[in-house]
Amino acid sequence: MSAVAVTRMPEMSDTLPNTKEAFYFPQGMVGFGDAHEFGLIYEGVGNIACLQSIDQPEAAFLLTPWNQSRLGAQPKLNREQAQCIEVQDEQDVMWLIVLNPFADKKWVTANLKAPIAINTEKRIGLQCIRPEPELELRFQWMAQPGS
Amino acid sequence: MLVLRRKIGEVIQINDNIRIIIQDVQNEHIVRIGIEAPPEIPVHRMEIYNLIQQENKAAAGANALQWLKGVTHERSSSDKDAGDE
Repeated sequence: MSAVAVTRMPEMSDTLPNTKEAFYFPQGMVGFGDAHEFGLIYEGVGNIACLQSIDQPEAAFLLTPWNQSRLGAQPKLNREQAQCIEVQDEQDVMWLIVLNPFADKKWVTANLKAPIAINTEKRIGLQCIRPEPELELRFQWMAQPGS
Repeated sequence: MLVLRRKIGEVIQINDNIRIIIQDVQNEHIVRIGIEAPPEIPVHRMEIYNLIQQENKAAAGANALQWLKGVTHERSSSDKDAGDE
């Protein structure tokens, strides 16, 4: 896998896995099925990092760690998802949510219907589509900067 | 499109590694289908897949990293201004 240099800030150090090496997404991201290798770029902005495809430059996503105090318990992997990212122990799974700063003028929104699970040991990731209808596609995560 | 008729318990084979099994028919409108596929092949209900695909495309792109860099710059500038006071 390619090496990806990254700058880390203390506030993210307890949550992000080591970002010096790439992550492999066997299924790509939904809508970007050919993008398999990703780097994780942290620019020092709070708890937001950028998942950047090495294969397809246009496949770049803003991610933030799952926040249990705001969102409740972390999602659970089903058997197929656990198999896909080769997880034996849920402790090795880090959950992240995809942010969208472009959909709403006032809010950066979070996609709670399709969070990302990363096996931090094996560096394998998967966007997990959740079937529960009550989950929001555009959850108001944070106010747009400068607003 | 290939259209096939299958009875409960029968299987459709796709390539060497994908199988679709007709599990049962619950009423006139609902068929339970089992799908065996390797982990790298995503399998989802189409309507939710399309929804997530649209949202990913709206959220993704070179603009994402530029937005992040822009926010970093804005934060650095405000931190610097605060430090100068």
